[in-house]
Amino acid sequence: MGDSAIYSILVVGALICAYRAMTSPRILSSTIYLACVSAAVAMMLYLLGAYQVAVIELSVGAGLVTVLLVYAISVVGDDASDPGPVIPRPVAVGLALLTAVMLGYMAYSLPSKALTGRVPPLIRALWEQRVLDVWIQMVLIFAGVLGILGLLAEGKTARAKAHEAAGNGHRTVKVIPPTACGCAPLDPRGAHGSANKEEVHV
Amino acid sequence: MAQSLILLSIGLPWLGAVATWLTRNEQERTQHVLAVGFSVAAGLASLALIPYAGSSVALRLPLGGLFGDMTFVADGLGVFLAAVATVVGSLAVIFSVSYMHGDPQLGRYYSLVLLFIGAMVGLVLTNSMLFLFFFWEITALCSYALISYYNDDPKAVSAGIEALVMTQIGGVGLLGGALVVYALFGSYEIDAFLQNAATLGPTPLAWMAFGFLIAAAAKSAQFPFQTWLPDAMEAPSPISALIHAATMVNAGVYLLARFYPAFAPVPGWKTAVVAVGVISALLTACMALFAPDLKRALAYSTVSQLGYMVYAIGVGGIAACSFHLFSHSIFKALLFLAAGAVIHAVGTRDMWKMGGLAKQMPIACTVFVLGALSLAGIPPVFNGFWSKELVLEAGLTGGPTWALVAMLVGAGLTACYTFRMVWMVFFGEARSHLHGHDATPAMRVSLGLLAIGTLTSWLAAGPFFHLLESTMPHHKLHALSLGGLTHEILAAPFTWIAVGVVGLGLLAWAGRDRLTFLTDGFGWLGVAASKSFGFERINEQVVAATQATANALRVTQPGHLSWNLVGIIGGLVAVLILLTWGA
Amino acid sequence: MTPLQIGLLGVIGLLGVGCYGLLITRNLIKVVIVLQILVKAVVLALVLAGQAGGQAGLGQSLAATVIVADTMVAVVGLALAVQVRRRVGSVDVSAISTLRG
Repeated sequence: MGDSAIYSILVVGALICAYRAMTSPRILSSTIYLACVSAAVAMMLYLLGAYQVAVIELSVGAGLVTVLLVYAISVVGDDASDPGPVIPRPVAVGLALLTAVMLGYMAYSLPSKALTGRVPPLIRALWEQRVLDVWIQMVLIFAGVLGILGLLAEGKTARAKAHEAAGNGHRTVKVIPPTACGCAPLDPRGAHGSANKEEVHV
Repeated sequence: MAQSLILLSIGLPWLGAVATWLTRNEQERTQHVLAVGFSVAAGLASLALIPYAGSSVALRLPLGGLFGDMTFVADGLGVFLAAVATVVGSLAVIFSVSYMHGDPQLGRYYSLVLLFIGAMVGLVLTNSMLFLFFFWEITALCSYALISYYNDDPKAVSAGIEALVMTQIGGVGLLGGALVVYALFGSYEIDAFLQNAATLGPTPLAWMAFGFLIAAAAKSAQFPFQTWLPDAMEAPSPISALIHAATMVNAGVYLLARFYPAFAPVPGWKTAVVAVGVISALLTACMALFAPDLKRALAYSTVSQLGYMVYAIGVGGIAACSFHLFSHSIFKALLFLAAGAVIHAVGTRDMWKMGGLAKQMPIACTVFVLGALSLAGIPPVFNGFWSKELVLEAGLTGGPTWALVAMLVGAGLTACYTFRMVWMVFFGEARSHLHGHDATPAMRVSLGLLAIGTLTSWLAAGPFFHLLESTMPHHKLHALSLGGLTHEILAAPFTWIAVGVVGLGLLAWAGRDRLTFLTDGFGWLGVAASKSFGFERINEQVVAATQATANALRVTQPGHLSWNLVGIIGGLVAVLILLTWGA
Repeated sequence: MTPLQIGLLGVIGLLGVGCYGLLITRNLIKVVIVLQILVKAVVLALVLAGQAGGQAGLGQSLAATVIVADTMVAVVGLALAVQVRRRVGSVDVSAISTLRG
């Protein structure tokens, strides 16, 4: 009973915070609500026994992402005006409901199993099985950092464009390559469609 | 040993493609050297593979699970086609050193050519139908990219797209057949399929047989898909020689030959194949007779000769078809390269502006005449004569008589248009003042080697047939030695009838001034032929319809993120609904 | 209601709210926030499924990978939003429809 109550409270809290995150007029409040959702989910993960994942979720979701969002908001500016949606609201509600209902239908046909209780930290042992995931994560992080550096490099593109405009000697594509024999350059691909004679010669 | 040679034959050209791609276009000489080096090495590797030919799986690369293993079998048909692809490929690359000299985007050109050569070798050596499709598609892609190589020219670009669309229609048939086999047999292996084809049941087998026929007809530019090949002559001449004469268009014929034992029992299939071959051969021979553009005439002649090969398959002469394939690759590549030398020198493709070039270009003239004599099928030393006679002999015993008569007429027409080409370009009065230099040294290497091949490749008939017979057990071929071949052909009275028809064709050209009554009477045929019997119109209409549909569909692209998200989530809902229904 | 069912309800609810939010919002940064909500639902689902199916370790390691991946998505998405702001002048979605057909 106590178990279920805690889970229910956490789930309801997460849903409310998610809804507020979505609909609040100021983006900064959305960010705070997102951090609350993250905290609720992390707590749920902890209760389920996935301690390491809970820690990662809390630190990354509620920490790193919040910091990033605040930085982005500071650069972009917190325009409080979020004009009405482009898509008619009933369509959006309908689609979201359909998704939820279909997923629910698919998930509830699964037999309801009991959870396997507290789980010892298998996560380390299983990194041997999922080593490929570790490599992929490293590549991902590297790519993300490169992407950030490239995207946030302001002014570099402007400088590069000025350099090209000054002309740096790229060859233009010539349609007629020079012939090797020193004769007057002729089009080696021949005349196109020039031979449409009216009478037919054999 | 066969394993590493197969890997080398496919891997070396692909390595070369990457290497030439990475070389900067300023270092032109390096690009030439790299391309020639890698293609010659690949040629040597596949020539070295010939003694190791066998009928069992030579190389197996496990890919696990869904796609089956990537298997390669080095049997006679595959090995000789691989040798043709790489050797003619390397000669075309050597020719390109001169022809494409000074081109600003040489890296793109060479990497595509080398990619193509590797894919072609993979196509003929593979034993898995899925990977046959995979290599098939790579060759189609390279062909499109090389036809539209001069991408500033809208004609070249539209010709490339036309080729791509037409061959893709066929590719769908091929994929469908492969999936049918996988669904019913559980594996993609070709030799297993050939062994157990009868267990597939008559209806799926018939679908597969005709699907593969369509795929092969589209790839080899047979009727009714014959329009893309003449339009593909916008490509540089070495490309026309390599892709559109010697290798890629052979893929369709190869497909039919490889799967012949499985499809032969299907009722109506062999007749359909014969009909496709005969119609293609005659239709395009007529069109070649009236074509004003040198490369176009050669393209029509390619389709016509491929029609002969398809006809040979239809009457059951797989060995004859393979032999003609071998000879044709050599002499057609020779003709295209020689034509390329002429076009490069005088700057036009229009035969009405040429004439009397024999004095200015003796080497090009000599090799072109050699190739032309082989194409026309003149005895006694030209490989075209022996292989064409073998095809006609096969038709004598295995096929319907109407088809044989039609092919005889086609042989006469072949001689006629071939002689016309030779005469209009090299002899007679110069129709305009053109200055031409003879073939450059790089061109001479390729031309010379191919000319020697034209004169001597028929001497390898004995080992060739023996190779085919011993490594292709499902096809039940009957090997001929060289002596047997010469005896059989020279002793058969039919051969002399055929030679007589060829002679008639030559005389008809020579005496054309006196035969004006014929040209007047058949004037309508000439007009129809120069409009390619209405097929170009059909093409244009199909392209216009496609573009109209595409323009009409532009309204579905609002470019707005929210609407795109509606599409994404809507798609997700659709998938979920499908999954629940299907479960 | 077992914890598994409550957890599943939570996952479905978060996914529904997330989909609705994606369709409603017009601000690029809010899009990133809503994507983060969706991913939290996925992480929860993975861990729940792993525990219910007996392969707890597998579920947890996949969840950790997904968290890393989605953080990278958020990072790159925010960088894109900043660049859009610089070039176009606003982060409203309607301002960047140059891919209109």
